[in-house]
Amino acid sequence: MTTRVNDIGSFVFERGRRGSVRRVLAVLLIVTGLMLYVGGKVRIVSLGYQIEALEREKREVERANRSLLIEASSLTSPARIEEIAVKRLGMVRPPKENVVVVKRKNAQQR
Amino acid sequence: MERRGRILFVLLLMGLGFSLVALRLVYLQVYQRTALASRAERQQERLVKIEPKRGTIYDRTGRELAVSLDVDSAYGVPAEIDNPRQLAKQLSLILREDPHALEKRLSSDKRFVWLSRKMAPGRAEKVKELGSKEIGIRLESRRFYPKKTLAGPVLGFTGMDNEGLEGLERAYDKALRGVDGWLLAEKDAVGRTVFPGGPGFQYKLPKPGHDIVLTIDEVIQHIADKELDAAVQTARAKGGVCIVMNPQTAEVLALSVRTTGHSRPAFNPNEPQRSKPGEWRNRAVTDAFEPGSIFKAVLAAAALEEKIVHPLERFDCSAGKIQVADRVISDAHKNGVLTFTDVIAESSNVGTIKVALRLGKERFARYITAFGFGRKTGIDIPGEIPGLLKDQRLWSGVSIGSISIGQEIGVTPIQMATAYCAFANGGTLMKPYIVSEIVDRGGSEGKKFKPVPVARAISPETCTKVNKMLQRVVETGTGQKARPAGYTAAGKTGTAQKIDQKTGGYSKKDYVSSFVGFAPASSPKLVVLVMIDTPEGVIYGGSIAAPVFKAVAEQSLAYLQVPSDDSGGRMLLVGR
Repeated sequence: MTTRVNDIGSFVFERGRRGSVRRVLAVLLIVTGLMLYVGGKVRIVSLGYQIEALEREKREVERANRSLLIEASSLTSPARIEEIAVKRLGMVRPPKENVVVVKRKNAQQR
Repeated sequence: MERRGRILFVLLLMGLGFSLVALRLVYLQVYQRTALASRAERQQERLVKIEPKRGTIYDRTGRELAVSLDVDSAYGVPAEIDNPRQLAKQLSLILREDPHALEKRLSSDKRFVWLSRKMAPGRAEKVKELGSKEIGIRLESRRFYPKKTLAGPVLGFTGMDNEGLEGLERAYDKALRGVDGWLLAEKDAVGRTVFPGGPGFQYKLPKPGHDIVLTIDEVIQHIADKELDAAVQTARAKGGVCIVMNPQTAEVLALSVRTTGHSRPAFNPNEPQRSKPGEWRNRAVTDAFEPGSIFKAVLAAAALEEKIVHPLERFDCSAGKIQVADRVISDAHKNGVLTFTDVIAESSNVGTIKVALRLGKERFARYITAFGFGRKTGIDIPGEIPGLLKDQRLWSGVSIGSISIGQEIGVTPIQMATAYCAFANGGTLMKPYIVSEIVDRGGSEGKKFKPVPVARAISPETCTKVNKMLQRVVETGTGQKARPAGYTAAGKTGTAQKIDQKTGGYSKKDYVSSFVGFAPASSPKLVVLVMIDTPEGVIYGGSIAAPVFKAVAEQSLAYLQVPSDDSGGRMLLVGR
């Protein structure tokens, strides 16, 4: 009787343990899958933030570059150069008699 | 039993709870689906407009004349602002705007309002320091003209939304502007924009605007601007125009327009709001003026082409006046017997009218049209007018006399410069142009513009004769002050009376002084037109406009390394 009960109990117990392991494995699998999925999503969002930050940085650098370009263009304007040459450096146009003619061949208009 | 009853009760409660949740889900997912989905979309998604980069405008050597730069603009979300008055007060100190106007905007029922667009540098940081989540900063493209007033009325300017409003910015707006792009971004819980990426990522990249390359040369433009400005200041004039063109191609190398008069600074496209709308105009194409004696070259060309007169034929101009129909037209000063060449050199009205009467109005009108007067030149600048030219069938008895000396006809400066290009290039009327290339930044080929001959106005032989006559003007006639050092030149002076708006007749004190010509005369490289509007004191073209021609031609030819053709002058040309 005892043996039967034990047998039955052992049978039930072993059957139950195998079922539990399967269930645990299934849950682990699902959880792992979910974590991978969520992790991937989190990674995408995180990369999105990084891209946004880098984009902003790129824009700032490009903006600074354009700004410098405009400044350089403004500083090289003929009006400013002439003003510095004449007023600050005291340069003057040479009088006609001080000028030497150097004729060039194929002088072309640009 | 008691235990079983409790279990059943709990199960009933749970079932009821689940049923309520299920019913709520059905209500939300089925009945409220559309409304909630659109609300979620509004809250979670953001359609971000991506502005294309507006194309750059370059001069012929690749120097930037108009460039776009991203700058900060501040905006607000009124629906989320609790205390608009306090926020407006804080913002007004940073943005330097009226706090009441800001408060009004922040209190509106709109989802989005601009607070300050394209702010001065440094203000965006101060706005950010306020730490208000309801105020945001957005980048917008702003147009800069690094050379400031240089070629201002030619370039024009853009509006707040980067649309071309005047000048070449307007004429080439479609090419410069590009095509807007967009992307569908997501917002996180705190409103930050997240770019989702991945296969579902919806976006359209903006197409950048094309760059345009002008025929304008920055240095020649500067020379023209500077010399015209000085002349307008000296003569205390209302304005002026100076055009420099390549006569072989009709490319505009410089187009300087002074619309602001001697008492105000020149138009700066960086600050268009500081100028009156009339000062934005490019008067070289939008305004017609009576040309006066510079038009006599057209009569000379027509008469020589028709072989009704010889350059050395003599005309008695000693009377100093001539009756044409019911009007007596006089010379500015008395002359004796003059050859036809000297009639032009001394700008004798009497001699010119005698030749015009011999030519007849039909033939004269034909040549006026052949030189492009009375119709648009087709230059790619907005607002061009055709000038004023009456059909010859409507000419009165005095018209032939008046028109031959440049009255009773309205021409634009660009028409006159283009006609003189024909004198300088052997007789071919060319279509003037100011944009030489549209460059596609997308890698496509773009578009190049080439010289376009319109028609042959006169023969090369006649041209040679006219050129010799025009050289005489500079050598011994009224245009001696136009002679550039080291170069020969040909041209014609003009001093035209303006119409008095009150009387409708010719004014006794308001004149348009002009000079138009080309250099070197032996092989013309430049046509230069100078027009000074309403000078005070000395009013003659030979005294006011001719020196500007000399200065512009001298400096521009040296810059272009054109060899000297006149032993009288010496010019240094350094090879580069």
